Amino acid sequence: MSHDVRTPLTLITGPLGSGKTTLLRYILATLPTKIAILMNEFGELAIDSRIIQGKNIQLMELGGGCVCCSLLGEFDAAVREIIDTAKPELIVVETTGLAEPDALVFDIEDALPQVRLDGVVTVMDADAMTRYPQLGHTTRMQIEAADVVLLNKTDLISAQALDEAGTQIARINKRAPILPIRQGKVDPALLFGIGHDRMIAPPRHTHQPEFGSFSYVTEQLLDRPCFERLMADLGDSVYRAKGFVRCREASYLFNFVIGRLTLEPFEAKTTELVFIGTELEQHKDTILAALQQCEEGN
Amino acid sequence: MVKDIERITDTIWELPTSYRDGMRVPARIYATEKLLQAVDEAVFEQIANVATLPGITQRAFCMPDGHSGYGFPIGGVAAMDIEQGGVISPGGIGFDINCGMRLVVTNLTYDEVKPHIRALVDRLYERVPAGVGSRGFIKISKEEFKRVAEQGARWAVDSGLGWPEDLELTEESGCIEGADADTISDRAVDRGYNQIGTLGSGNHYLEIQVARPENMLDSELAHAFGINIPNQIVIMFHCGSRGFGHQVATDYLQAFLRVMEPKYGIRILDRELACAPFDSPEGQAYFSAMKCGINMSFANRQVILHRIREVFAKVFGRSAEDLGMHMVYDVAHNTAKLERHKVNGHMRALLVHRKGATRAFGPEMNGIPERYRHTGQPVILGGSMETGSYLLTGVAQGAQTFFSTAHGSGRTMSRTQARKQWRGQDLQREMASRGIYVRSASWRGIAEEAGGAYKNIDDVVHACAQAGLSRPVMRLSPVGNVKG
Repeated sequence: MSHDVRTPLTLITGPLGSGKTTLLRYILATLPTKIAILMNEFGELAIDSRIIQGKNIQLMELGGGCVCCSLLGEFDAAVREIIDTAKPELIVVETTGLAEPDALVFDIEDALPQVRLDGVVTVMDADAMTRYPQLGHTTRMQIEAADVVLLNKTDLISAQALDEAGTQIARINKRAPILPIRQGKVDPALLFGIGHDRMIAPPRHTHQPEFGSFSYVTEQLLDRPCFERLMADLGDSVYRAKGFVRCREASYLFNFVIGRLTLEPFEAKTTELVFIGTELEQHKDTILAALQQCEEGN
Repeated sequence: MVKDIERITDTIWELPTSYRDGMRVPARIYATEKLLQAVDEAVFEQIANVATLPGITQRAFCMPDGHSGYGFPIGGVAAMDIEQGGVISPGGIGFDINCGMRLVVTNLTYDEVKPHIRALVDRLYERVPAGVGSRGFIKISKEEFKRVAEQGARWAVDSGLGWPEDLELTEESGCIEGADADTISDRAVDRGYNQIGTLGSGNHYLEIQVARPENMLDSELAHAFGINIPNQIVIMFHCGSRGFGHQVATDYLQAFLRVMEPKYGIRILDRELACAPFDSPEGQAYFSAMKCGINMSFANRQVILHRIREVFAKVFGRSAEDLGMHMVYDVAHNTAKLERHKVNGHMRALLVHRKGATRAFGPEMNGIPERYRHTGQPVILGGSMETGSYLLTGVAQGAQTFFSTAHGSGRTMSRTQARKQWRGQDLQREMASRGIYVRSASWRGIAEEAGGAYKNIDDVVHACAQAGLSRPVMRLSPVGNVKG
């Protein structure tokens, strides 16, 4: 297994009370991997547990190798400390409802070479959207930064109000898919890419019927420039893609989330890819054909 | 620019109540035409939303350095009549409660300081910790911190970290009454108790400046404020209540969201404007907790002043008293204060929210130090680290905004945009070539504060002067800067 693969980091943002902590609890309960959660305060996640005082974080063990950390120092120093001490497969950062996430995204890309930004998840309170006709300045920035918007608490509103909320969000962020959810329940496969723990599960369709997926497996080598061109021209139907890509010069861990592509050197015996998105049936055959075009010898 | 805006004068613009359903009063924006063109559109929406809040009196205001923020614009001013259902709103105060400015004079000239500028800035950088999670040298227990929250700068002076005259020269004498530490959460205490005497990050800084004779705009007032030697060295710094104030705001925004509509039937347009009636238990609890934030911030600036005096005394081998290191004043930016103002000929008790705005009391008003009775209250306007800052004074015409004026230059772009545009290393080198020595906890901190990321401070001051919000006294030029 390669150990030089960067640690994926997911930002969870959204206004106060939108359900970020509930989502985190659900992720912890359903995702069988070693997660480190970095948050402003332990809050509702806090359970009676040993608290370890670090320099930039306070760390609390959650069992199963997962840890919860509260931020004390600089954000980037805290992330480095988490990687060094907890060695997680995945870092999830829960921002406060008051945070403007663009600065954090910039910090991650600018100052944390050991981290791969896996995605920005923005949790919105659908019920609050019906009660307050305008979206605030900070909320707008949180929506703008999203790779995916989880429209939570949809059980509290009518179908029409849900439509309107979706339209309002889409006006601010055209690229990000909007997933209506209840009580923070969402298939983690939609939220996360793939790390060196090799979790490649396609979505389970339980909560997001509008999402589909298909996979592609080949023993052939892929031509990297051809593959990168294909991903760049993919359009909006694929929201997330992940897997392993074998090319002549090397094999790679592959992650893609609406337009952001990363390939990291990684040991893999075959090319295995999963594509997740909406209205995929219409595009599936075209994408598969294009992938075959990238196989060496074609 | 929005089309319904009316020009009242060259520097006053008004959105009438017809601009948006629910506006109880008109909204006024103070700006030159040039500044108005540069204002981001969200500011108009936000200040119109502020005008819908219960109890708002006369008008909602946005100062010439205004830009969009959480709920209220930064630069927003709103006075709520507490006898008419007026509310208190954390979004109208800001998270960095009582972020503010302090100005200190010396009897040194630039020629005397120039050879020591690096030593001074380097030592200040060591003694006044900067950066997001920076911790101070003051080691106190959480219980002691609660006393800081209740006593403010007085706690620091009583602990030997300052001179008694410093208190007289601080807004509210450095301790606002009615701060009860029982209203603050343990988490807020956790985040604040080791941060006294720290600058923090963002736009917080500590600057050594020169009062050049050619930048003297009112010599009589400058003299009254202690600036009376050509090329005199002064020190200006900007910081607030750090993580403590931020946590207080977070705690009460959550509390207000829970009760605002179900308990008090208050409906608002944007939930970032979460509020509670001033006279409700929740409103009163936040008012007290916010005052704890105000006091913590006064104490923070008091300790920083003490460090500055120590550093100057060490570098020059003379006592701070001998160096004439007296305070000019300490002003607060992010507060809501209970004040009495005349409305339609009657004195009313108003809760004046000033978010990124400075109180600017005119001559003869209660609440300003005796020595400034005839001059009006000093107003300290921090510019970007590259361009310079201003000292102004409050004026009688300030009554139009409940005696409020601008607080700085005001950003024209986000921190992230600024970081994409400038590199900290280049900026530091370029400023050094212009005689400004900068130290920062991070390169990106420098890039975020590039002069080009801000409005032109001369334009902002011009708008304040023209509109009659405050009178310029002196422009101050940076020569050394510790950037948070």
